[in-house]
Amino acid sequence: MAQQATAVTTEQKIWEGGQSPFKVSYGKMMMWIFLLSDAFTFGAFLISYGTNRFFSSVWPDPNKVFHAFPFMGEANLPLLFVSLMTFILIMSSVTMVLAVHAGHYGDRAGVTKWLMWTILGGICFLSCQAWEWTHLHHQGAWWGSFTDSTMSLDSFKHLFRDSAVADPTFAAGAGMRATHDFYNYFFTITGFHGMHVFSGVVLLVMILINTVNGTYDRRGHYEMVEKVGLYWHFVDLVWVFVFTCFYLL
Amino acid sequence: MSHHHNDSNQYYYEGDQSKLYSGIMNHHFNHDVKSAESKKQIGRIWKVFWILLIVTVIEVVIGMFFSHHMPHGLVAFFFLALTLLKAGYIVAIFMHLGDEVKNFILMILIPLSLFIWFIIAFLADGNYWLHINSTSPVR
Repeated sequence: MAQQATAVTTEQKIWEGGQSPFKVSYGKMMMWIFLLSDAFTFGAFLISYGTNRFFSSVWPDPNKVFHAFPFMGEANLPLLFVSLMTFILIMSSVTMVLAVHAGHYGDRAGVTKWLMWTILGGICFLSCQAWEWTHLHHQGAWWGSFTDSTMSLDSFKHLFRDSAVADPTFAAGAGMRATHDFYNYFFTITGFHGMHVFSGVVLLVMILINTVNGTYDRRGHYEMVEKVGLYWHFVDLVWVFVFTCFYLL
Repeated sequence: MSHHHNDSNQYYYEGDQSKLYSGIMNHHFNHDVKSAESKKQIGRIWKVFWILLIVTVIEVVIGMFFSHHMPHGLVAFFFLALTLLKAGYIVAIFMHLGDEVKNFILMILIPLSLFIWFIIAFLADGNYWLHINSTSPVR
C-alpha cells in the first residue's frame, strides 16, 4: 500500500509542472515532432509509388535503369553507383553522431572536425545525385517524359527485364506508362530527399560557424548540434527507405 | 492541478532551457572526451556503422545476383526486414531515441504504427485496380 501511494505521488509530481516529464527541452521535442510529420510526408510519397507500381502490369527493373558509373562509359555496373551514394550517406551519419558525442563532452575541436567531415559527406552525396540526374536526363528521362504515343517500343524496352519484354502480354502502352510513372516518382522523391540533404548541409554550415565562434561554449551546451544531428540522421533514415523502394524491390 | 507562477517555474518554460537539456544527455559536459565512458560510446557508434555497412552489402549482393531467381514475395520480405533493421539502429543509436525516457519513445513510435494500415490499405487498392483493369472488357 505504502509503495503504491508513493508511486502515485511521484507520477503526479512528474506532470504537475516545474519539470520536463520527457526530460527533453522544447526545441528538441519539436524537432522530433517535425521529423514525425516529415516521416508521414515521405511515407505518403513512397506508399503512393507502391500503389502505382501495384496497379501496373509491368514495371522497369532497377538493375536495368541504374547501371551506369561516372567515367565508366557504357560498362554495365548495376546498383554500384547507388551503393556508393548509400555508403557516403551512412558514413556522414557516423561523423554526425561523433560530432553530437563530442558536443556532449563540450569538446569544441572534436565537434568542428566531425561537422566538417559531415558537410563534406553531404556535398559528395549531392554531387553524386546531380551526376545521376544528369545521366538519366541525357537518356531522355525527366518529369513528364515517355508520354509520346508515337514513341517506339525500342526507346524504353531496355529498361525492363528481357523476360518481361519477351512475354506476349507485354503491352507497349502499359510499358510506356510504367516508365513515365517510374521516372515521375523517381525525380519527385529523390528530389524531395535531395532538397532535405541540401537544407541539412546549410544547417550544418550554420552550426559549424557557431561552434567555431564559441557560441555553444558560452551557452553551456551543444544542443543545437544534437538537434541538427537528429535532422541529418532522419535524412539518412529516409534514404534507407528510398534505396529499398527504388533500387532493390 | 495547482498552478505555481513563481520565478523558478517560469524559468523552465520561457527562459534558457539549458537546465532541461542538462537533464539526460548533457551530464558529461566538461568531462574528458578521452575517458573510458566516452570511448565506450564511440565504440558503440562504430559497431552500428559496421552493422549498417554489412546489411547494405548483403542487400546489394541479393539485389544484383539473387533477387531474379527468388520468389518475389520472399525478396520483398527479406529487403523490408533488413530495411527495418537498419532503421531501428539509426533511430535507437544514432538519434539516441533508445536513451530517452520510455514515454517519449512511445510518443514518437505509436503514431508511426499508422503506417501498417496505410501500407496494407493502399497496396491492396493498387492490386484491386490492376485486377479490375486486366479483367474488365472495356479498357
